[in-house]
Amino acid sequence: MAPPEVHHLFHHPIADHSFSADKQTLAVARDTSVELYGRSGNGFKLKDELKGHDKTVTSVDIALESGRIVTCSQDRNALVWEPSPTGYKPTLVLLRINRAATFVRWSPSESKFAVGSGARVIAICYFEEENDWWVSKHIKKPIRSTITTVAWHPNSVLLAAGSTDAHARVFSSFIKGVDSRPDPGVWGERLPFNTVCGEYLNNSAGWVHAVSFSPSGDALAFAAHDSSITVVYPNGADQPPKSVISVSTQLLPFMSLIWNGEAEIIAAGYDCEAYRFKGDESGWQLTGSLESKGAAGGGAAHEESAFNMFKQMDLKGKTKDDTQLKTVHQNTISTIRVYEGSNDSVRKFSTSGVDGRIVIWNA
Amino acid sequence: MSIIQQVTTASLSDNWRTINIDLLDPESSSNFDTSTLHPAFAPVDENEIRGLGQQVRQLLRGGDAEGALRGALEGAPYGGEEGVKEIHLQTVTEVLQSIKASEMTPMLQRIFQTEGGSDVLDVLMKYLYKGMAAPTTRTKAPEPSTGGFSQMGARPGAANESSGAAMSVLLSWHEKVVDVAGLGCVGRCMTDWRKV
Repeated sequence: MAPPEVHHLFHHPIADHSFSADKQTLAVARDTSVELYGRSGNGFKLKDELKGHDKTVTSVDIALESGRIVTCSQDRNALVWEPSPTGYKPTLVLLRINRAATFVRWSPSESKFAVGSGARVIAICYFEEENDWWVSKHIKKPIRSTITTVAWHPNSVLLAAGSTDAHARVFSSFIKGVDSRPDPGVWGERLPFNTVCGEYLNNSAGWVHAVSFSPSGDALAFAAHDSSITVVYPNGADQPPKSVISVSTQLLPFMSLIWNGEAEIIAAGYDCEAYRFKGDESGWQLTGSLESKGAAGGGAAHEESAFNMFKQMDLKGKTKDDTQLKTVHQNTISTIRVYEGSNDSVRKFSTSGVDGRIVIWNA
Repeated sequence: MSIIQQVTTASLSDNWRTINIDLLDPESSSNFDTSTLHPAFAPVDENEIRGLGQQVRQLLRGGDAEGALRGALEGAPYGGEEGVKEIHLQTVTEVLQSIKASEMTPMLQRIFQTEGGSDVLDVLMKYLYKGMAAPTTRTKAPEPSTGGFSQMGARPGAANESSGAAMSVLLSWHEKVVDVAGLGCVGRCMTDWRKV
């Protein structure tokens, strides 16, 4: 397997990253701005900086078709950046929230986006032609705490959200005039705005870091701070789910996850590397890391002479230099995204983390 | 908007930085009961838990330490009152103290590999932390007479300090549980709403 492509952009945490459809542009949330990098040869070069927020930018997402970039920040605002010949032009979105915006994602239809926030609401934002303005509608009930993450169903109506009240929920974000009426499915039949299609909590109940619908949209996976991933197979409206499978691992918690087909999940987080889970309705299990340890540790092969050992002991009070992790990422991975292929079959995926690296992996 | 107005009026008489704006908001998170977030447990009676303790001790006397440990951990009284939980903590501590240090790791591995074993170890970890959190309440625990202690390599005189010795047993269990069940187990102790 080819080694992963590692790009060390800077020594600063990357809150979120997103690639454009042609993979030539990479948007990275760094501190209070979003940096746009352009592909140049084997690396990435800083092209542009989107400055518009005055607090930490928490999330960024590039719409694949329209090329619009949406960003949200702890300053409680979201901005839509419209590409134009003279650069990106920001439009402020009225979120009407009184706490930080934590997470933003475009719907697959790209006519809406959802913003999670510390104000215990999800703002569903859409463009109102007559006012020439992005407006938002709030999903409020029954959220009891900060929304940490959201994910869209392929039909652009259903939205999954994870919260620090340890629940993963599925809502309808149907907006008249924007969405076409969705077909009835496993999540429910009639889906007016703010319908709660599912509310899930696992036994050890960590706050939820990541949620994701399976490629078909008929299953939901979420990762929580109890080092577990939970997969839910719903069974139609007002019915208990067909099965809820929770896998608790020996590892540190996962921060982000993607599906690779209906029978595989790739998750990464505080262990600084990506792990693969396999399974179906009858059960899921952790099958191992996606990183080959030998290759990663190879660069750190040090001279193991007696002289070196005593030198290390003298300098650092220990014989082994353990400041380097054996993983490619040197700190927590905060975002994992599909890079090449789709979540039906992922060929490559990208991760970014606290260490300022963007890594492109072969799935 | 309304919050800004309320803060402005309040700041006339008070330092606005000290105002807890959550109290002004009827929908604030401080105004609901967090115990409603998860399903409630069936209450556990004191007699019930004493009965379980007897069964566990019987298994222990019969030499089935693993069965005793499993039984004790699977019967954790999540829905019990504080007193009930305390009684069960004593039972678990007794079982832990009676298992030899050399038997700990193999036993934990056997439990971990069985169905639901990872959950059992999560519960064990919760008891270890509870035990370490309140060493003084367990001084009533029986004097160490089993082989568990002789192998701990305790410092001289430690045998007289029953809480110190109990602590070293818990610490040594802690190390071994982390070896088998990983750090995820420690994380789950903190997040879990089923408190022991």
